[in-house]
Amino acid sequence: MTIRRRALVAGTVALPFLRIPARAAGTPGQLVFGLSSYPPNFNPWVQAGTAAGTVTLQVHRGLMSYGPDGQLRGELAEKWERDGDAGWVFTLRDASFHNGAKVTSADVKYSIEQVSAPKSTAYMRAQFQGVDRVETPDPRTVRIVMKQPTETLPLWLAAFEMPVVAAGSADTGKTPIGCGPFTITKQERGVSIDLAANPNFYKPGLPKLKTLRFVVYADETARVAALQTGDVDLIEYVPWQSMAGIEADPKLRLQNTEGPFMYLTFNGATGPFKDPKVRLAVAHAIKRDEIVKSVFYGRGAVLAGAPLVEASPFHDKTLSDGWAYDPARAKALLAEAGLGGGFNCTLLATAQYSMHKDTAEIVQQNLAAIGIQVELALPDWATRVSLGNRGQYQFAVNGTTADSNDPDGLSALIDSTLGPSAARSFDLGDGSIAKALAAGRAEFDPTKRAAIYTDLQKLVLAQTPIVSLAWRAQGYAMAAAVKGFTNMPGALTFFSGTTLEETTLGG
Amino acid sequence: MIWAAKRIGTSLLLVWLVITLVFLAIHFVPGDPAELLLSQGGAAPDPDQVAQLHEQLGLDRPLLEQYAGNLRGLVHGDLGQSMQDQAPVVDSIADRLPRTLELIAAAAVVALGVGIPLGTAAATRPGGWLDRIGTAVAALLLSLPVFVLGTLLVLVFAQTLHWLPAGGYISLTTNPVRHFQLLAMPALTIAAGLAAVVYRITRGAVADVRQRDYVRTARAKGVAPARIMRRHVLRNALIPVATVIGLQLGGLLGGTVLVEYVFNYPGLSGLLIDAVSARDYPMVEGIVLVISVLFVGLNLLLDLLYGVLDPRVRQA
Repeated sequence: MTIRRRALVAGTVALPFLRIPARAAGTPGQLVFGLSSYPPNFNPWVQAGTAAGTVTLQVHRGLMSYGPDGQLRGELAEKWERDGDAGWVFTLRDASFHNGAKVTSADVKYSIEQVSAPKSTAYMRAQFQGVDRVETPDPRTVRIVMKQPTETLPLWLAAFEMPVVAAGSADTGKTPIGCGPFTITKQERGVSIDLAANPNFYKPGLPKLKTLRFVVYADETARVAALQTGDVDLIEYVPWQSMAGIEADPKLRLQNTEGPFMYLTFNGATGPFKDPKVRLAVAHAIKRDEIVKSVFYGRGAVLAGAPLVEASPFHDKTLSDGWAYDPARAKALLAEAGLGGGFNCTLLATAQYSMHKDTAEIVQQNLAAIGIQVELALPDWATRVSLGNRGQYQFAVNGTTADSNDPDGLSALIDSTLGPSAARSFDLGDGSIAKALAAGRAEFDPTKRAAIYTDLQKLVLAQTPIVSLAWRAQGYAMAAAVKGFTNMPGALTFFSGTTLEETTLGG
Repeated sequence: MIWAAKRIGTSLLLVWLVITLVFLAIHFVPGDPAELLLSQGGAAPDPDQVAQLHEQLGLDRPLLEQYAGNLRGLVHGDLGQSMQDQAPVVDSIADRLPRTLELIAAAAVVALGVGIPLGTAAATRPGGWLDRIGTAVAALLLSLPVFVLGTLLVLVFAQTLHWLPAGGYISLTTNPVRHFQLLAMPALTIAAGLAAVVYRITRGAVADVRQRDYVRTARAKGVAPARIMRRHVLRNALIPVATVIGLQLGGLLGGTVLVEYVFNYPGLSGLLIDAVSARDYPMVEGIVLVISVLFVGLNLLLDLLYGVLDPRVRQA
C-alpha cells in the first residue's frame, strides 16, 4: 500500500515533465494536411467542394492545369494549338494511369464524353456540351472540335473538375482510375484519407513527398490548434481571426490570396430590385471597408466593381471603383426609381456561416441610412440554397470565387440567362452580359478580347447583375518546415493542391 | 408474459412513430439534397442536372412511395445508401456508433468514479467543507458549456503543456496509445458535466436514505458504519442515480456533437448533424432509427427489469 501511494505521488509530480509526444506530423517526406471537410464523394467531374478538389488534384489530372504562378500550362498535354476555326489539337505527353496503362487520346475522348453526356451531373457539362466532336487520329493526339470558336477551351480543360480518367473506369459501379501524383491507399470515411506517391508519375522527380495524409478538421478552431500543436503540417481555410497569431508564430507560415469574394444577388422577377437603379443604389450605399474590417478582421479588400482579380490581364483599373460608397448618389438613384421615401425588404443570408450573417448585418445597417429597411432571413445553408435556386427571395448575400482569373470564369455568377441558381441573380438582365461573355469566349485576338471585357465590366457596373462587396483573404497556413507549397493567386486559390506535388517537409 | 408483450409492442410502435415523424420532418423541411450536392463550393447547378440527380437518387418518386420503400428496406435490415457518396448507411453507422459508445462509456466511467464517492462523502457530512466545495464545483461544471470547457482543455493540455494531441481519432488497432490520448480530452469534457449530475443526485439520495428508519435501526443494532453505508444506504440510494444516468447516457447518443466538433472526434452525432445539413435523407433516417432503437431498447430493458424486481409494476 505504501509503495502504491509513493508511486502515485511520484507519478503525479512527474506528470508535468512527461511531455507525451502528441505530434503526428512533422516526419520528413510525410505530410499531414488538415482539410476543412471530408469530400462528400469522389466523383472526379462533380464540384464537390474545395476540400474534394484538393484531394482530386492528387489522384487525377487533366489535359491542362495552372502553375504555381497561376499561368495556364499543359498537364497531360505536352503542347496544344488551334486547328481551324473551332478546333484545338492537343498532343499528349508520355504518361500512365495508376494501373500502369498509358494515357491515350481514347481516354481523353471517353472523359469528355462522360462530362458532356445528357445525364451527366458534371460541373463542366454546360461548357462541354459545346463540343461538336472529339477525334483521336493517333494515341497521342486529340482533336477537339467545338460547335463555335472557343478561345477559353484550354482554360476549361484546366478546371480540376475536368480530369482525364482511364476509359471505362468511370462506368457505373467502378472507381475512376487517375494518373495524378498520388494514389489513395486508405480511407476512413469522415476522418482521413491516406495517399502514397505514384512512382510512375509523368513528371520526373515528382511528387517529392512519400506519403500524404489528409485529416479532416471541420471546426476551424480545432484545425488551427492542430497546426499549432504539430498534429498537422498544413491547413486550409485559415480563419481570419487566427491569421495574426499564425503570422506571429516563428514556427508557422501563412500564405494569403484575395480570390474569393462576397456579393449580393437580386430577384429580378419581382419586387423593387427589378429596377437596375435600385440595385445601383444598393451598390453605392455599402461601406465595404466595414465588411473587410468587421467580417474579415481586415484580411481582405474593398471590391466595388466586377469581381475580376487585379492579376487578370483584363482587369480594368479605371472601372474597379465604379460602385464606390456614395450615399448621396444612392439616395438620388432611389428617388429616380420612384422610391425616394425608401422601402422595406428582406435580405436572405444564412446563420450557418458567420461571414454571410455578419455581412448581411452590415448591409442592413448601411441600407437603413438611405431609407431601405431590411429584415434579415437567416435559415440554415440548405434552406438558403433552396430558396435561392427557386428565386424565393428579394436579395441575398453570397460568397464564392470565379472559376478562373479569366473574365469568362465569372459567367456562372453574372449571366442570369443560364437559368435559376442560388449563386447568381434570379431572372435578371436583358441578355447583353451573356452576349458580351459569348463574344469574349469566341475572340482569339488578345486586343479585341480586352476591349470586349472592358465593355463587359462597364455593362456589369451599369446593369448591376450582382453587387460586389469585398475580397476575402483565403489562407493556407503551414509549419515553417513545409516548402514548395503555394497558395495560387486569385480565383485559383482552390487549385493550390496542385502544388503538393512540389511540396517537401523537412529532411 | 402479456405484460412483457405489451411493453415490447409499445416500444416497436414508438420506434415506428419516430421513423415516420423523422421521415416527414426531413422531407418537409426546405432544402434539396440534389441541389446541395451540386452547389458545393458555391457552384451554380444547372436545373436540368438537378432533375437528373433527383432521378438518380429516387427523389422524383411520390413521397408515399419513398416512405413505403424505406419501410420495406428497414424490415429487411437495409437502411439504404447515403445520397452523398452512395455508401451503405449501415456501414457509416457501424463506423461511427462504436466510437460514440466508447466515448460515452469512458465519460460514464470517469463520471461515476468521481461523482458517486464524492457525493457519498459529501452526504455523510452535510454542510462540511467537502460538501460546500463539491456543491460549488458541481454548479460550475453544470453551467460551463462543453465547448468552453473543451476549448480550455485544448488550450492547456494540447497547446500549452503538449501532453495530449489537440483532437482527432485513430482506431485502437492502429495505435492504441494514441487512441487513448485522443479519447482522453473529449471523454473528460463530457464526464465533467455528467460527474456533477451524479454527484448531486448521489449526495441527495444518500442524505435522504441515511435518515430512513431502517438505517437508524441498523445503527441501533450496532452494525459497522461502513457496512451500513454499503449494504443499506448505497444500495437504495443508487437506484435513482442509475435511472438518471441511464437517461443522461441515452441522451448522449445523439448529443455529443459539440464535443465532437471541438475535438474533431468523428462520432455519430457529428454524422447526424452533417447528414441533416446535407439533407441526406437515408443517413438521417438510419441514424435516428439506430438511436431510437437503442434508447427505446434500453428503456424497455429497464422496464422489464423493474417488472422482475418489483411485481407491483407488472400489476399496474
